[in-house]
Amino acid sequence: MILDLHAHSIKSDDGRAKVQNYCQWIKAKNIAIDGFVLTEHRQFDNESDYSELAKKHGVTVLKASEVETEYGHVLVFGVTQGLQREFDFANIHLSLAQVLEACDAHDAIAVPCHPGRKRVGMAAHLDEFGVPEGVKIVEVFNGGSRGSEDEVAQQMASDLDYLGIGGSDAHIVSHIGRCGTRFQASISNEGELVEALKAGEFEALKIKEA
Amino acid sequence: MPTPDEQIDVEGLRAQFLNKVFDEYEFTLDADDLAIYAKSCGETAAKFTDPNDPDFQAPPTIASSLHPKTRHPEGFPSFVGLGMDAGKAAAPTQPMRPGVPITARTHMHDIYTKSGRSGRMVFFVNRMEFADAHGNHLGSADTSVVIREKPTAGDQA
Amino acid sequence: MTIRNVSDVEFGSKLPDFVPDTSLANVKQFAIAAGWNGPRFTDHEAARKEGLPGALVPGIMSQGFLSAMIHRWAPLAEVQLIDTVFRAPVIVDQTYHINGVVTDIDEESGAVEIDLTVTNEADETRVFGTAKVLIPTV
Repeated sequence: MILDLHAHSIKSDDGRAKVQNYCQWIKAKNIAIDGFVLTEHRQFDNESDYSELAKKHGVTVLKASEVETEYGHVLVFGVTQGLQREFDFANIHLSLAQVLEACDAHDAIAVPCHPGRKRVGMAAHLDEFGVPEGVKIVEVFNGGSRGSEDEVAQQMASDLDYLGIGGSDAHIVSHIGRCGTRFQASISNEGELVEALKAGEFEALKIKEA
Repeated sequence: MPTPDEQIDVEGLRAQFLNKVFDEYEFTLDADDLAIYAKSCGETAAKFTDPNDPDFQAPPTIASSLHPKTRHPEGFPSFVGLGMDAGKAAAPTQPMRPGVPITARTHMHDIYTKSGRSGRMVFFVNRMEFADAHGNHLGSADTSVVIREKPTAGDQA
Repeated sequence: MTIRNVSDVEFGSKLPDFVPDTSLANVKQFAIAAGWNGPRFTDHEAARKEGLPGALVPGIMSQGFLSAMIHRWAPLAEVQLIDTVFRAPVIVDQTYHINGVVTDIDEESGAVEIDLTVTNEADETRVFGTAKVLIPTV
């Protein structure tokens, strides 16, 4: 199945998309994804339950987070209450090492996103901080990339032997599904997503408009 | 003065400054300025571009162009960096028309920090509410201002 | 197609896009009318001294372009909300496209939601947002 692993809703400060509208859009426009993951900025949305919406539209909707570290932004999949107690998701000065360690301890996984992006991408910080231990996957296709940002990400992934995922980084409805990740496994919840990522059986995709 | 890169007590600022009206003033809009505003933006309808039109009114985004007279609440810290508009939301409930006295009241609606291509940033959101002389609500406008680290020579758009 | 009634609106349809006038002359004229005639909007050199890549098209002007696009598409539309995020500078004398696409329709109330973007020649998004408009139902 294909999931867009990076999307924002109105829960993010700069998100302008309602989840219901994402679901409608995917179905009505035949966007070539089976679902998406909400990676809200600097928070995990504990309140919202999208299971009914997902069922109604036949779309998989999962929840995750995008946090901020000295190496740039990082997607965190498999967020639990326990993980949320390990560090403050709202802190923009997190340590990547701490985030990775906490994820390991709580069966979650941290994936640096848009690593080719200036300042908030991992590639920009390797000279200063060195190659971080524990990173296995980075986002190599990001729908919001400018210029050569994706190429930089792909080169870094190749140089450092990282696997790659894709996500739209959508902040408005019509940008959902611009990029995605194809999994061999079927994924219906966050735990299965983390397992599939850890198993390494996926590929990043750029998805053409229908 | 703090820079956006320093640890900022966001919760402290929120507790101290949010949701308190810090500015209020009355103004009127000028018909000729409104027509130029609208035409420059590509509006073609006479009700926006021709002051002689019987339904002449400001374009709906006009509220976004208005500033409080005082930019910040009293005592709000000044940050070192480059200040820019990060976003605007205009929510008109009735047309604004030239020559009609309008009162604008502003409060600080949100404060937060994040990092982006421009580095670490502080955001604050002011909300202006507009009413006519009869107290009819004409609309509101949110302005999100970002203070970002000053760009270096190597930074691009 | 010019929209007169909400029944004319199709889900997923694109609004007719246009290339706005971002010339220095037009931006200056706008800036003066809006009371926003600071040098960063009216003078390339002054803007560069502030660390900007050139004179900026004010965010409110980008918002105005988006609103104009809506009115050109649906002259009877009443804008209830136009909410924009200024993701990257829009520079005077450069070419941009103003785009919109319908993302939700309520035929009963006439409420239509539209995704909005301002993109550059490389199709990179500089401004994005949403609008909610009311279009006649009869």
